[in-house]
Amino acid sequence: MGKVKFIILSVTVLSIISPVFAGKASAKMPEMHGFIEADLGLKLTDDTTKRDDYNLLEQRLQLKSMYFFEGDNLLSQKSTAINFKGDFVVDEYYSGKTSFDLRELNVSLTPFDFMDTKLGHQILTWGTGDYLFLNDLFPKDYISFFTGRDDEYLKKPSDAARFMVYPKYFNMDLVFIPIFEPNETPKGDRLSFFDSFQGGIAGCDSDRDISKPPRQIKNSVYAARAYKNFGSYEGAMYFYRGFNPSPKSYKNEAARQLYYERLDAYGSSIRGPILDGIGNGEVSYYYSPDDSKGNIRTVQNSMIKYLLGYEKDMGNDLRLGFQYMLEQILDYKQYRNALLATDYSWDEFRHILTNRITKYFVNQTVKLSVFTFFSPSDMDAYTRPSVTWNITDAWTWTTGANLIWGKDDTTELGNMKNNKNIFTRLRYSF
Amino acid sequence: MKRLINYLVLVGCMVILAPGLLSAQELAVEEIVQKANLASYYAGNDGKSNVKMTITDSQGRVRNREFKILRLTTEEGKEQKFYVYFNKPSDVSKMVFMVWKHSGPDDDRWLYLPALDLVRRIAAGDKRSSFVGSHFLYEDVSGRNIDVDTHELIDSSGDYYKIKNIPKSSKGVEFAYYIVWVDKDNFMPMKAEYYNEQGKLIRSIEALEVADVEGYPTVVKSVAKDMERSGETMMEFSDVEYNVGLTDDIFTERYLRRAPVKWVR
Repeated sequence: MGKVKFIILSVTVLSIISPVFAGKASAKMPEMHGFIEADLGLKLTDDTTKRDDYNLLEQRLQLKSMYFFEGDNLLSQKSTAINFKGDFVVDEYYSGKTSFDLRELNVSLTPFDFMDTKLGHQILTWGTGDYLFLNDLFPKDYISFFTGRDDEYLKKPSDAARFMVYPKYFNMDLVFIPIFEPNETPKGDRLSFFDSFQGGIAGCDSDRDISKPPRQIKNSVYAARAYKNFGSYEGAMYFYRGFNPSPKSYKNEAARQLYYERLDAYGSSIRGPILDGIGNGEVSYYYSPDDSKGNIRTVQNSMIKYLLGYEKDMGNDLRLGFQYMLEQILDYKQYRNALLATDYSWDEFRHILTNRITKYFVNQTVKLSVFTFFSPSDMDAYTRPSVTWNITDAWTWTTGANLIWGKDDTTELGNMKNNKNIFTRLRYSF
Repeated sequence: MKRLINYLVLVGCMVILAPGLLSAQELAVEEIVQKANLASYYAGNDGKSNVKMTITDSQGRVRNREFKILRLTTEEGKEQKFYVYFNKPSDVSKMVFMVWKHSGPDDDRWLYLPALDLVRRIAAGDKRSSFVGSHFLYEDVSGRNIDVDTHELIDSSGDYYKIKNIPKSSKGVEFAYYIVWVDKDNFMPMKAEYYNEQGKLIRSIEALEVADVEGYPTVVKSVAKDMERSGETMMEFSDVEYNVGLTDDIFTERYLRRAPVKWVR
């Protein structure tokens, strides 16, 4: 039903903004841009997902446009604009299933000089990490990330009202998401993962059920950020009240049911120049109201996450970045004491190191990028090498790989190890 | 005897005046450089322009970039803020690049990626790397700090002051020296040639067209050429306006995320 609604919406939007196609092009008509893309991801490891040979085979058409209200009216005076972006997808992984993926459909306006708002379907991002998210608890699509779609698809849109307030001494973002939108995480059909109910890495055999919080006012998500520049340094404080966007807690073990437990997060970050590069530090305290004492073995404990990052431009179009993240489970003793002998367990501390290498060649038309995650405590690693070639302004060819290793099947990256693939994308932009 | 006295007086005058003449000339070259810097990067309190870049590589393949550039001077001859809003190519449309240029060594740079709603901070180490894949470098766009080079006036006979500039430190610089031709009438640098250690010309920038915009001489067409790898970029400015009333708040995260409609349309 949701899909149908989206299609109707998109057709409406298209009909409003596409007289260009009807031949009535005028200077005031908004431009339509987008791309056509073919994606392929070949699997390098066997598992029990739906298909053996590939985990990505699709074509997509993205259309995007922006309409500004003009003339002597209130909407124009308030700088009102409508943003639209949507993808028509033919997914061969599901035997040519067609779908429409609405990425953005929102209205942005400036109701007061000190305030901007964006209402509707939109992408939300904040925080200082590079592929590591502490205070950014907005929905992500990890299936796109691990199969090799463009980075754009790592961010999943939310239906939200965002108020950006700019009083004199600091800035503030207030976000209200009426209906919680979880992360897109492996389910076994396209990507395999560690399923505790199966006692190992599972594919289509996974039969667990994930329940979303009921659609009630009390289950709305609120997030806020207050930020301020101190010279070249940017300081921020964050707040989130909602649910853990990844299913990590059990609702009913006998019924193989997981759920998104309640989560409150309080954090802060700083970013600015240091040692000829850019440094960032971020911390977030995750409070788990459903297991506030930490003694319920089936529900995630409260946590603290720390992040330190550094990026430097080495010259000659070479850029290096490093990050260190520490995750600490709080009330760890209570958690250990509550565990049953047969339970899989987490370590108190998890250390993650990352490295990003970006190098451009041939007048920046060829980009080599390698991003690596490594956890010395989990003994797992994930590296994403890729090469992007801008053949012309319109044609772009990207090839890369998702290479994952893990000593154990249970760890955060290790449980994804049977999803190794090489991917390639060819895009024509217009 | 009279001739000898005259001669001695002449020599005496030269000895007394020469250091004065010398310092006057030294002052002059610094003054020229200062004026050229102001003329090329600091016209008006603020300014805006549409920019079209045509990048041609060594094999004749052409790429285009179109963006709008907003510039605000916060301290004459020193601190400036730039806001660059991309229109083309379409895969970077609505992307914003922002720079706070400082008189110190490092500028602050930000990049806004609309598809991810992501404000990224960019390490500003290398000012001599290509700007958006063109043959212009970051430093050509925002201006090279005049204090990092020594300046020597090597010729002032024709319509131009010909100035040789040698970097005080060779760290992070691909050339040994460069020569700039500054128009005597309006102090506009009309040409810059960059040479390597062997004295070989490796790159050049040339103003092809200068127009009078609201009383400010303005380069509206220029070309950067790479002699080593061959290839060039033509940069054309249109709709140039000065003193339009840009304010400090435009150069903040607020307007990275939400482009100021009034200025970028």
